Amino acid sequence: MSGFIRKRVIDDNAALVQLLGLCPLLAVSNTVINALGLALATIFTLTLTNSLVSIIKPILSKEIRISLFVLIIASVVTALEMFMNAYFHELYLILGIFIPLIVTNCIIMARAESFASKNPLWLSIKDGFFTGLGFGLALVTIGAIREIIGSGSLFSQAHLLFGEFGHVLYWKIFEDYQGFLIAILPPGAFFVLAILIAIKNKAKNKH
Amino acid sequence: MNNFVKLPLILAALTFLTSGLIMFSESATHDKIAEQKKQILLDSLKQLIPDNLHDNDLTLSTIKIFEKELLGHRKEKVIYIGKLNEAPSVYAIPVTARNGYSGDIDIMVGIKTNGEITNIKILEQHETPGLGDLIEAKKGNWIQQFANQSLHKTVEKQWKVKRDGGKFDQITGATISPRAVVLAIKQALLYHQLHFLPLKEEKS
Repeated sequence: MSGFIRKRVIDDNAALVQLLGLCPLLAVSNTVINALGLALATIFTLTLTNSLVSIIKPILSKEIRISLFVLIIASVVTALEMFMNAYFHELYLILGIFIPLIVTNCIIMARAESFASKNPLWLSIKDGFFTGLGFGLALVTIGAIREIIGSGSLFSQAHLLFGEFGHVLYWKIFEDYQGFLIAILPPGAFFVLAILIAIKNKAKNKH
Repeated sequence: MNNFVKLPLILAALTFLTSGLIMFSESATHDKIAEQKKQILLDSLKQLIPDNLHDNDLTLSTIKIFEKELLGHRKEKVIYIGKLNEAPSVYAIPVTARNGYSGDIDIMVGIKTNGEITNIKILEQHETPGLGDLIEAKKGNWIQQFANQSLHKTVEKQWKVKRDGGKFDQITGATISPRAVVLAIKQALLYHQLHFLPLKEEKS
């Protein structure tokens, strides 16, 4: 893995190291599918906003750059919201307010300001994709842990994302599992996030 | 060109472009979104008004109501009427339980013309996960006890949970949510009796 990718996916992971975008991270990570839905939406948004910001770089000026970023990010997310509403309607209903709230995910603004506005198009696209991937991986990992502990299953409601094929994916790990409620409720998200950060730091200190 | 002219021009141009993007997305998804919403509605109505009890387009045969007192509505709601050979067969009546554990519980009750319940659907609730939310059909089988019930089979006084001296099971650990739902269902039945039963008698 090249240093460029490793830095964005692991070493400077947006969620676990920079602790950015925690609100959606904690709120929709109660099942893998919810987490995956938001992860894909975030990766898509971040890649697109980064490339648009990089394209308009010649006309960016210091005074109005923030307004331009906001304009681009808000309209990309609004368009994404409409397409999700149309083609993944049930998932859209579950993710609810967190789709439009991608606008306020500070990772997106941070990458636009600190990377895409200063770098060429192809690098910005890569930056957006891999930063999003790092965030998405953290999101899906938390989702998987919470779903296994909380409901004893994986990929429940996968048909919302994958259509008919999703029913095949559903995997009940423990039969007759009563569920461990706190893992699904918001506190569970904090616990799992804290444990992941601890593991991450432990691994880092070894090097 | 100085900044005083240039910056607003850039802003205006980009606003124009991004508005274009949003307008394009809107027109590309508008029909699909409407179709999806209709599909969701029809899917949930299917449980209340089974296919064998109606032959009409449910989205076209509706009545708008706003019953603050009897049905607890906070805004205008819609009754869907299933018809067989032009004659009403099932009414899907919306009712809002205001006395849930956390917030309103929005319920749809399907009632046949003889006053029997076909099915009940919880449209929206915010009850405690794992306790109060067992009222939902996908999480527990509590709601199934109401199928085929009516004011005829269970008199009005008996429409309570067992703990309050009524006939219906509560849920262990959660009394408030079931109590609210049972009461709301009774209200829907009373509304049906008041408005739709006499109609049928006139005809027969």
